[in-house]
Amino acid sequence: MRNRRRILNVTTRVALGSAVLVANIAAAQNDDPHGWLNKMTKAVQTTNYEGTVIRMQGGTTEALKVVHLVVDGIVRERVLIQEGNGLEIIRNGNEVHCILPDKKSVLVEEWNDQSTLFFSMPSSDIRFGSEYDVSIVREERVAGRKTVMVAIRPHDEYRYGHRLWLDSATGFPLQTKLINVDGKAIEQLKFADISLDEGVDALDLQPSYDIENFRWINEPRRAITHSVESEWTSDNLPRGFRPVSAHQEHVPGGDEPVTHILFSDGLANVSVFVEAKTERDVAESSSVGASHSYSIAIGDHLVTAVGEVPAATVKQIASSMQPE
Amino acid sequence: MNDAIKTQISAFVDGELPDNESEMLLRRLSQDLELRQQAAEYFAIGRAMKGHRDVKGIATLRERIAAQIGDTEFSETSVRAEPAGSRYTRPLAGAAIAATVALAAIVGLQQVSGVADIADAPEAAIIAESAADATYTVPVQADEQLLQYRLLHNASTGNINARLVTLQLREGGITEPGLENPANDGSSTDDEEAQDQQTQ
Repeated sequence: MRNRRRILNVTTRVALGSAVLVANIAAAQNDDPHGWLNKMTKAVQTTNYEGTVIRMQGGTTEALKVVHLVVDGIVRERVLIQEGNGLEIIRNGNEVHCILPDKKSVLVEEWNDQSTLFFSMPSSDIRFGSEYDVSIVREERVAGRKTVMVAIRPHDEYRYGHRLWLDSATGFPLQTKLINVDGKAIEQLKFADISLDEGVDALDLQPSYDIENFRWINEPRRAITHSVESEWTSDNLPRGFRPVSAHQEHVPGGDEPVTHILFSDGLANVSVFVEAKTERDVAESSSVGASHSYSIAIGDHLVTAVGEVPAATVKQIASSMQPE
Repeated sequence: MNDAIKTQISAFVDGELPDNESEMLLRRLSQDLELRQQAAEYFAIGRAMKGHRDVKGIATLRERIAAQIGDTEFSETSVRAEPAGSRYTRPLAGAAIAATVALAAIVGLQQVSGVADIADAPEAAIIAESAADATYTVPVQADEQLLQYRLLHNASTGNINARLVTLQLREGGITEPGLENPANDGSSTDDEEAQDQQTQ
C-alpha cells in the first residue's frame, strides 16, 4: 500500500513536472515573435478558411468574401468582391480565373500558386536584426478571436513597417497593416468574421455566377523572360537590399526587351527596369497606393524603379544604377 | 444612415473607434450592401466638403476601354476630354490583348487623374501640399510602359491584389488615387507608432 502511494506520488510529480515544462516551453514560444512568424507562415500555407475580409487600400474600403482551401498542397480559392461590378476570382493552383459578370467574361491568367490575400508575408527567415525589429506588442481580439499583435518596424525610412494580428490558437493572420514612415496605416486587411478549417466546404469554391455562356479570354503570358547576368549594378542601394534575380523581358507594345532586376531586403521588393532611351515622355515619379515608381535617364538608357516602398527608396535605387 | 452610424464611420476612418465597436461596424458593413453604399456616398460627400474632387477622367476612361474591347454598352460617357495617355493606345487585334490594354487603361486612370488635376491650379496646389516628398514632381502624363512595369513587378512578387484593383470597374468611379491626399488615402490618422509605443 505504501509502495503504491509512493508510485502515485512519483507519477503525480512527473506529471506535474511535465506540465510545468510544457507550460514553460509554450510560454517561451509565446514570447518569441520569430516563433509567431514561423507559426503564421505555416498557418497561411496550410489553413483552410472562409470569411469576410475588409480591405482598405489606396483610399478605398471594400468587403471581400473569401474561401480558401489547400487540397494536396494546391491552393484552391474563391474571392468575391462585394462592391463594384462583383468581380470574382477563382484560383486553382497557379491558374486564376477572373470573372467579370458585367462583361460576361472570364479572364484566365497564370499566377504564382499563392494565397490572394497573403502573397507576401514576413517570415522568420528575414534577417530582422539588420533592417527590421520584430516584437510582440499586445493582445487584442479580432473577428471575435484572441490575437497576438506583432510589430515589424524598419530601422530606416527606406521601407514600410508591418503590424500583424495573429490568431492565438493557430497563428493565422486575422488582420494586417502596412505602416508608412509617418506611422500611418496605408493598407489594411481585416477579417470581420472567419471560420478556420472546420466548416470550410469545397462546394463553396464554385463560381457565384452562371458562366456557361461567358466569353473566355486566355491571357497570354505577359513576358518572355530569360535569366541574365545583368550588366547593371548599384553601389548605393539602401541598406539591406540586394539583387535577387535579373531577366530580359519583352513588354507588350515594346520592340526591344528590357532588363528587369529584382532587389529585395527579404521583405520589401523593388523592380528595376532598364530600357534603351526613346523619345517617349516619361513621368519622373508616380504612386499607386503604397507602390512608388521613379524614372531617370542614365546615359543612353532609361532606368525605372517600381516597388511597394517609400518614394525615397525607388528614387535612390534608380538613381544609383550604373552599367558595369 | 443615421448620425450615430456616421459618427462611428468617421471615428473608424480616423482610427479612433474602439476595437469592439470597429468589429461590430465592420460586420454590419460587410452584411449590409445598402449601408455600404450609403457609407461610400458619405465618404464622397466628406471629400467634397474638404475640397477634394472625385477622380477625374472616369468618363474618358470608359470610352478608352470601350474602344479597345469593342463594347459600346460600356461607353456611356457624356463628358469628353483628351486623355493624357491616348497617344499610347494603339490599335490592337485580338480580345486577349484588348483585355490587357483595358486593364492597363484602368491602372492608367491613376496617372491620368494626376494629369487632369495638374491643369487646375487650386487642385495642383492640393497635390503639391499633399506630396510626401516635396522635391518630387507629379506625373506629367500616363505612361503605358510604366503600367506594364507595375504589372511585371506584381507578377514577379506574386501580388495579384494589385491586379484585383485594376479589374474593378465601378459605377461611382475608381477612387484609387495616383497621388494621395493625406485626408483621403485610407490612412488612419492616428500615429500607429506612437500608439504601439504607449502600450509597450
